[in-house]
Amino acid sequence: MGPLASLMRKEFLQLRRDHAMLRLVLVLPIVQLLVLSYALDNDLRNVRVSVLDEDRTPLSRGIADALWESDVFVPGPPLASGDDLARSLKVGRCDLAVRIPAGLARDVAGNRSAAIGVHVDGTNSSTGGRAAGYAEAAIARAATGRDGRVGAVRFFYNPELESRLYMVPGIIVMIATIVSAMLTGMAIVREKELGTLEQVLVTPLGSLQYVAGKSAPYALIALVDLALATGFAAVWFHVPLAGSPLVLLAGVLAYLAVTLSLGLIASVVSDTQQQAMFTVWFFLVFAIMLSGFFFPIENMPPWARVLTWLDPMRFFLAIVRGVLLRGAGFGDLARDLLVLAGMGAASFTGAVLAFRRATS
Amino acid sequence: MKRVAAIARKELVHIVRDRRSLAVAILMPLAMVLIYGSVIDMELRDLQVGVLDLDRSDASRELVREMTASGFIVEAARLASRAEVEAGFRRGRFRAVLVVPAGYAAGDRTGIQILVDAADAATAATVDNYLQAVVLRAARERLPAAGAPPPPFTARTRIWFNPELASAHFVVPGLVALVMMMICALLTSIAITREKEVGTLEQILTTPVAPAQVILGKALPYVGLGALDAALILAVGRLAFKVPMNGSWLALAAYTLLFIVIALAVGLLISARSSSLRVAMMAAIIVTMLPTMVLSGFVFPIASMPRALQAVCQLMPATHFLVVVRGILLKGQNWYPLQTAILAAMAIVILTLAARSFRLRLE
Repeated sequence: MGPLASLMRKEFLQLRRDHAMLRLVLVLPIVQLLVLSYALDNDLRNVRVSVLDEDRTPLSRGIADALWESDVFVPGPPLASGDDLARSLKVGRCDLAVRIPAGLARDVAGNRSAAIGVHVDGTNSSTGGRAAGYAEAAIARAATGRDGRVGAVRFFYNPELESRLYMVPGIIVMIATIVSAMLTGMAIVREKELGTLEQVLVTPLGSLQYVAGKSAPYALIALVDLALATGFAAVWFHVPLAGSPLVLLAGVLAYLAVTLSLGLIASVVSDTQQQAMFTVWFFLVFAIMLSGFFFPIENMPPWARVLTWLDPMRFFLAIVRGVLLRGAGFGDLARDLLVLAGMGAASFTGAVLAFRRATS
Repeated sequence: MKRVAAIARKELVHIVRDRRSLAVAILMPLAMVLIYGSVIDMELRDLQVGVLDLDRSDASRELVREMTASGFIVEAARLASRAEVEAGFRRGRFRAVLVVPAGYAAGDRTGIQILVDAADAATAATVDNYLQAVVLRAARERLPAAGAPPPPFTARTRIWFNPELASAHFVVPGLVALVMMMICALLTSIAITREKEVGTLEQILTTPVAPAQVILGKALPYVGLGALDAALILAVGRLAFKVPMNGSWLALAAYTLLFIVIALAVGLLISARSSSLRVAMMAAIIVTMLPTMVLSGFVFPIASMPRALQAVCQLMPATHFLVVVRGILLKGQNWYPLQTAILAAMAIVILTLAARSFRLRLE
């Protein structure tokens, strides 16, 4: 253990001296968590709705008011004509326009069916469709006085359907990944660039010891970052820690073994820091996209769903969300934990082997 | 001009020699289009739903069959009791549970319950809507006479500019902005900082090439690379996802050029202010990549953010560029006076700042 301990001491010393880096990795995660949690919010709010009221009766005004009652919609500029409606959508003065045709009140009184036009800017495929859904529901409510629902609905774990509760654990996962994979990704290649790697290689240090010692400080940083972010999320965003911290810790350790090893592998196969960063980044982009962080895995095409099985982030995300939000225990998450542990062991072995091959 | 070309050629050799970085610079945007284009899809498929049938009648079995007949919903499990609901949620076996009450065959419609795992808030609402629609249809088909009278008026929806709500049509224009920032700002700042770190910038500056020519020469290949990537993204978007081009190519090229100037100026500013390559890379990612992905309306709507963050979004060049690109491609709107003014002002301010700090550093 002698050489390993000395290597770790050297790494920690080096880290402590790099004040700029230290500030970056300790302050940045909190800033990111704060900004991203507010920014990555898929809830619909402040959708600008303009009304073209060609009927001008109490009924039509009632419909317009019913729309604006919804907390999703805010009034947009009033519309004067059909041309005005088309132009407003085109230049983006409003996101959704409702056209109430002349004679609506008369048709309703005469028992003739009438239609109200809902015109929505579909440029944003996700918000456009949902905004139209809200408008249709508001109009149906105004028409029937009922909301047309059957039975009772109960939302478990997040009764208010706040997307933030769902996003914040994802952001924590992302921060942990970036910090652990990026930093280790640069670690060995930097020694290569500076020429100090040769010096290390003439010491009696084995590959296994070198890889372990090199990643230890970054594991510690990632753990501190995770603790900071989780604590901050609980205090600031009221994200519950419904499950046991032990389950979470088990998942964290298995996941860090994966990301740190992958970072080291990227570092070993790269010649410059730029290449290492690119390699890690390439991995990150796909890992994040396929993890189910932004986009539910069920929605993906079958080939992409198969790919998600290779994504360690997918399993870690399931663990973090399961523990934080649903209070899942070891038994519930056995599959994810096992897969992740297997990935950790495999990628750590891979890192040691890659290092051995690159240096021999 | 010859000198600029010489520097540009030298930089081009650097780019071509670093095969891996070049491959990433070209393949990553392509892979992003393919994956983003097909993965961002709010349409639910194969929704896993558990069934708790307390009625065990022909009618209730018919309801479950109706539910799965839609093709979107898969019956993931049949529960024996309510106790199994939460265990299934925790294990991720299903996203929702349909509870059919004991009196369903006898006409109890209000007792139907839909239990949704709302840990994923975004899909929870959609899941609820799907199940509501299915159950409502099934219930109405079974009892047509008992249905309510038709409503006096209904909504007729028309979706403009993207009638099929294809996510690729929304994402591809955003990727153009993202990749521009990545290639033009990030790579340029790295290229210049590296010469500074290695000490070769001084050597170049002792040649008769003027500093402005050096910068221009170094930036040009990346402009080319960025433009190539943008063209690739648009081509793949068009061929694979049928992203339309409703506006004028000239307008698109003009605005893209303006955005490239801004991206280069940002890269220049970063490299002028950074002491080392590591700092430059970190700064470039934090200043260019993250905000472009997150604070520009690339995926997440700006209107939903708190006011303070909305103001930050307005400071991002990509925010305004995205409005323009989406407008040109999808809406066929070619002229944006407000966005033009903002982008031009940003270009001038950032370029001035960059030029000033560069002069200071080289003295």
